[in-house]
Amino acid sequence: MKVHEIMTRDLTSVEADVTIRELIFILDNARMPNIPVVNDANQLIGIISEKDLIRAALPGYFDMLHSASFIPDLNQMAKRLAAIVDDPAEKHMQRSVLHVLADDDVLQAADLIIRKDISNIPVVNGEGQLVGRVKRIDLLKPYI
Amino acid sequence: MIITVTLSPAIDKVYWVDHLKIGEITQDSFLTRATRSLTSAGGKGINVSILLARLHVESVAMGFVAGHTGHVVVRDLRDEGITTNFVWTHGETRTNVTILERGREHIPIKVNESSNRVTPVEIDRFFRRFRRIVPNAKWVVLGGVLPPGAPPDVYRQITSIANQHGARVVITAGGRALAESLLACPYLVKPDLRENVSFEGTPVATVNEIIAAGRKIISCGVEMIIMSHEVTGDIVITKDAVWEIQARIQTTQLKNLVGADDALLGGILYKLDRGAPVEDALRFGMATGILSAESEEKICRNIDKIESEMDLISLERLEG
Repeated sequence: MKVHEIMTRDLTSVEADVTIRELIFILDNARMPNIPVVNDANQLIGIISEKDLIRAALPGYFDMLHSASFIPDLNQMAKRLAAIVDDPAEKHMQRSVLHVLADDDVLQAADLIIRKDISNIPVVNGEGQLVGRVKRIDLLKPYI
Repeated sequence: MIITVTLSPAIDKVYWVDHLKIGEITQDSFLTRATRSLTSAGGKGINVSILLARLHVESVAMGFVAGHTGHVVVRDLRDEGITTNFVWTHGETRTNVTILERGREHIPIKVNESSNRVTPVEIDRFFRRFRRIVPNAKWVVLGGVLPPGAPPDVYRQITSIANQHGARVVITAGGRALAESLLACPYLVKPDLRENVSFEGTPVATVNEIIAAGRKIISCGVEMIIMSHEVTGDIVITKDAVWEIQARIQTTQLKNLVGADDALLGGILYKLDRGAPVEDALRFGMATGILSAESEEKICRNIDKIESEMDLISLERLEG
C-alpha cells in the first residue's frame, strides 16, 4: 500500500513569515499539533509545533533542570511568549523535516512515525510540494 | 488538478417531514418531527468537489472555515477523498437548513444563515495559499455568495490570477460578485438567479430575455453561459450557438433540489475536462443534476446511472 492511499489530504500550512501569534491561532483552530512551513512554490521547507513554541517560551536554563517544577511560576514563560509572538515562524521552525513521498510504501511512514515517536509526518510529491500528511490514525484506518 | 473555491461554505442540514405545522398553538400540534435527516458539507464549490470525487476526479477544496461546524465540513470532504486547503477564521461556519415536506419535495423550504465574517488578514492568507497551488490547476471553480468582509471584486481577482496561470475559471454566483468577475473573463458562467430573476437590471424570465442577457455576458469575453430556465431546463449560450437543454421528467419525481445545480455544473466540467464536445458535456451535466435531484442525498452517489439518465435529456439547438 502506498502513502497516497492512506494519507490525510490536507494542505493546511503556513509561510515562513507568518507570525507566531497567527500560528498559535491556526494550530488551535485547525486542531493540529504541528504545521508544515512551505515556500511560494508550496514546497516543504520546515515544520513548527506546539512543542517548539513552548520550548521557545521557556527560560534558557530549562534544559538544565531535572523537572519543570523548578520553574517558580509561569510568568517568565508568559513574558517570553509575549516577546516572540510577532516573530516569524521561520525563526522557531525546524528546518530539517522528516517527510515521506506520496508514492512511498506505507511501511516507510509507519517506521518513521513509530521510531521517531511523532504524531504525523508531512507527505510531498516528486517536486517537494506538500500534498498531505500521514497521522498515526491513518496507519490504522485501512484495517478496520 | 481542479480547484474549487467556496468562500462561504456551510453545513447543509436537510429534514424530511410528513407535514410541516406552522401557526399551531399547542405543543402537540406545533411540534413537527422529522422522519429523517441528512447532514453534509455544502456550498457551491464544495458540491462540485463532492460530485467530482464520486466521479473519481481529484480536486482541492479551498475557502474559509471556522469553529465546530468548520471541522464537520473539513471531515466530510476528507471522507469523500477531497483534498482540503481551507483558511481557518474566527467564528463558526454557517448552517443552512432545508425542510422537505412529503409530496412537495420540489418546493423546498430553505433557511440559510449569514456567512461568517472574514478579515483582510484572512483574505490575504487565502490569496497566498491560492497563488501557491494555482500553477498546478487546469480548472478553478468559484461558487456561492461572498462572506461579509470579502471585497466585492474578490472573484475578479481570483479569476485574473487563475487566467495568468492558464487555468480555466468556472463561476456560479449572483449579484455584484458575478458582475465584477465578468471583467476578468471567466471561461464558463452559471448565474445564480435564485433570489433575483434579473441580470444587471434586465429581467430574465422568457427564453428571449435569457438569450439577450446571455449574449451580453458572452460579449464580455465569456466562452459559455448556462442560464436556468425551468426547474428541469436550462438555456446554454456560446459565441457560436444557443441550446435549450431539457429533462423529460415530472417535477414531482424530484426528491431534493439542494445541490442539483452544482451537480449539473460538475457534470459539465467533468466532460469538458476530458475534451468531450459541448453537446455531450451539456447532456451529461443535465443528467447528473437530474439524477441528484431525484435522489434524497444532495449529490447523487449512483453515478453508474448517469449514462442511462441521459436518455431523458433533450438538447435542441435554437441558434447557430
